[in-house]
Amino acid sequence: MGVGKIVQVIGTVVDVEFPQDQLPSLFDALEMDNNGVNLVLEVQQHIGNNWVRCLALGSTDGLARGAEVTDTGAKLMVPVGKETLGRLFNVTGSPLDNLGPVETAQRWPIHRPAPAFEDQNPTVDILETGIKVFDLITPFPKGGKVGAYGGAGVGKTVIIQELIRNIGAVHQGVSVFAGVGERSREGNDLWHEMQASGVLASTVLVFGQMNETPGVRARVGLTGLTMAEYFREEEHQDVLLFVDNIYRYILAGMEVSALLGRMPSAVGYQPTLSTEMGALQERITSTKTGSITSFQAIYVPADDYTDPGIVTTFGHLDAVVSLERSLAAQGLYPAVDPLASFARILDPRVVGEEHYRVARGVQQVLQRYRDLQDIIAILGIEELSEEDRTTVFRARKIQRFLTQPFFVAEPFTGQPGKYVPARETVRGFSEILDGKHDELPEQAFYMVGTIDEAIEKAEQLRASVA
Amino acid sequence: MPSVRDIRRRIRSVQNTGKVTNAMSLVAASKMRRAQNAVLEGRPFSEKIQELITHLAAQPTDGTTAGHPLLEVRPVQRIGILSITPDRGLAGGLHSTINRAVAQFILAQQVPVRTVVVGRKGRDFMVRTGQDVQAVFTDLGDQPSLPDTTAISHMLIESYEQGEVDQVYLAYAKFVSIMSQQAVVEKLLPMDPAPLSGSEKAGYIYEPDAATVLGTLLPQFVDMEVYHAILEAVASEQAARMVAMRSATDNANSLSSELTLVMNKLRQDSITNELLDLVGGRMALEG
Repeated sequence: MGVGKIVQVIGTVVDVEFPQDQLPSLFDALEMDNNGVNLVLEVQQHIGNNWVRCLALGSTDGLARGAEVTDTGAKLMVPVGKETLGRLFNVTGSPLDNLGPVETAQRWPIHRPAPAFEDQNPTVDILETGIKVFDLITPFPKGGKVGAYGGAGVGKTVIIQELIRNIGAVHQGVSVFAGVGERSREGNDLWHEMQASGVLASTVLVFGQMNETPGVRARVGLTGLTMAEYFREEEHQDVLLFVDNIYRYILAGMEVSALLGRMPSAVGYQPTLSTEMGALQERITSTKTGSITSFQAIYVPADDYTDPGIVTTFGHLDAVVSLERSLAAQGLYPAVDPLASFARILDPRVVGEEHYRVARGVQQVLQRYRDLQDIIAILGIEELSEEDRTTVFRARKIQRFLTQPFFVAEPFTGQPGKYVPARETVRGFSEILDGKHDELPEQAFYMVGTIDEAIEKAEQLRASVA
Repeated sequence: MPSVRDIRRRIRSVQNTGKVTNAMSLVAASKMRRAQNAVLEGRPFSEKIQELITHLAAQPTDGTTAGHPLLEVRPVQRIGILSITPDRGLAGGLHSTINRAVAQFILAQQVPVRTVVVGRKGRDFMVRTGQDVQAVFTDLGDQPSLPDTTAISHMLIESYEQGEVDQVYLAYAKFVSIMSQQAVVEKLLPMDPAPLSGSEKAGYIYEPDAATVLGTLLPQFVDMEVYHAILEAVASEQAARMVAMRSATDNANSLSSELTLVMNKLRQDSITNELLDLVGGRMALEG
């Protein structure tokens, strides 16, 4: 193994000079001792003069020119296997939970090719989430990719955590959670919650949060994914992969892109934006041996859905859940915009005629309401035709019935969470569309589970008024 | 996120709506002035004739007055109601206020109610709710004349005299002021005698006789009441329309300025982004 010397440090990018015939390959991991801390560098480019340009997977504070760097001769290897379950790792696969070292039979490189076409297994099974708006408008496919888009503070993380609670808890296989560039506190909360609820034993947690350098945030997703892939390939299991937040992965790539000498592309993104996204997303797929169902939170900068970073991720997803600030501002949680959200499997051949009809009906009513909003703002609701007025009232009820109390939000709202079976969801919305509940007040539909609870709440409201 | 062009299109449509509502409010204002005069000038006459008739009805009978069919009180088996509504919308909540008042009236009755409707808004409402509609009058215009409305009042008199209905009510929007119109439901037939003090019950001497006098006066009274109610309704409609359209214009203006603000921000954003791209690209080439 070659030993090189640091010749240049630019922030998180480090140039290392190696002896002429001992240059490390691209993506190989280099190791060095940085004042007692083991620092991993990943080779990104060969820039001539026997120099390699590397990305530091850790802090470069304290590095000095001339320091020795050892080539490991392989890509960054992370531990995979059953021993990883219940543990908490960083990007290099070292445990962070002070529970001792993790000894596994195998270590896999974090850079791996995506499964070939012939190995892929597109499934069309529906995965029930117990959350009304998802089950109705954006049914999740088993073994598919789901993205939750939203600006800052509209509830992406809460939704991911509720999904972990609803699906992860009843899920028989293993789950992998990759925390990418989000708040460290949330990672800590999640770890304690999982311990308390007992799902930690079948879960692997991998964190590279906001406090880490861009190199870490750009690779931690791959670390989590590699651990998930092991369970798919070797254990033939169905794996749930949660990523919060995939946009931080793009952002980390953007931070180092210019330092690596690439010219910025549109809106300052790295020119390799879609390549980087493809390298990660294409590996999250279901094969003949097992499946990975992934849920990704995606931050939308400045609520701008046309941002190139956002557009690049859209194409990879089977279902897109779009969170809207204006709904969150009205207290309509989860703030999912049913008109901007979509799912590939919302198709009568998959979900059935009735479900399809109801979901489209809900969207039509809401779209009509949105179209009428200017007229209402100018002329008032009195000027609408009787038909349109009914549509408006139903739309407002539907908007409220799309809300739901969350289990993970219980400490904040004091309201117990609700799990609604998909069949009940379809029935409830179908009845609203058919006008069976036109006489109930709007508030009765707010933050309830099934339609029967809405009727019950209407009774209570009536009783409290009387 | 909508594009600048989308928002510009929306602003244009909102502004056009505002122009239309502004014009409507001006037109309604001038029509209202005329209708308001007609109502205010007609009111003393209408009130006086009502006073006269109720006084007459309260007089001790000499055996001949009781015989007049329009004063006859019968057990109520069916009620007739004349509902006066506007032909056109865009007058705020006016038509729904009247329709609601009529609907409440109908629901409160123990006996079937037959309706006679003036105006399209009332007709549509009655048809939609499946009421018993005897007749519909539309397109009376902004300046209804007495001959136009006597057709309506004669019909009411006829059905009362023939015993098809045993009471007749009148529902219309009373013109209180420009800002306020009140939906009222009043009894038209049979006339309620006014409560009179002793000295007023002197008794009249009819010339040539009671039957002739009442026979001429009572139908005229009904004509006048119906005519006046329609005048009130027209004035109310124009006033309501003027106010509604003025507030619609205000709403359109504020919506348009809100949208303009959003559009300007969006435009500035895109300019900033383009500048950043240009500068970034330039610097990358130089560096």
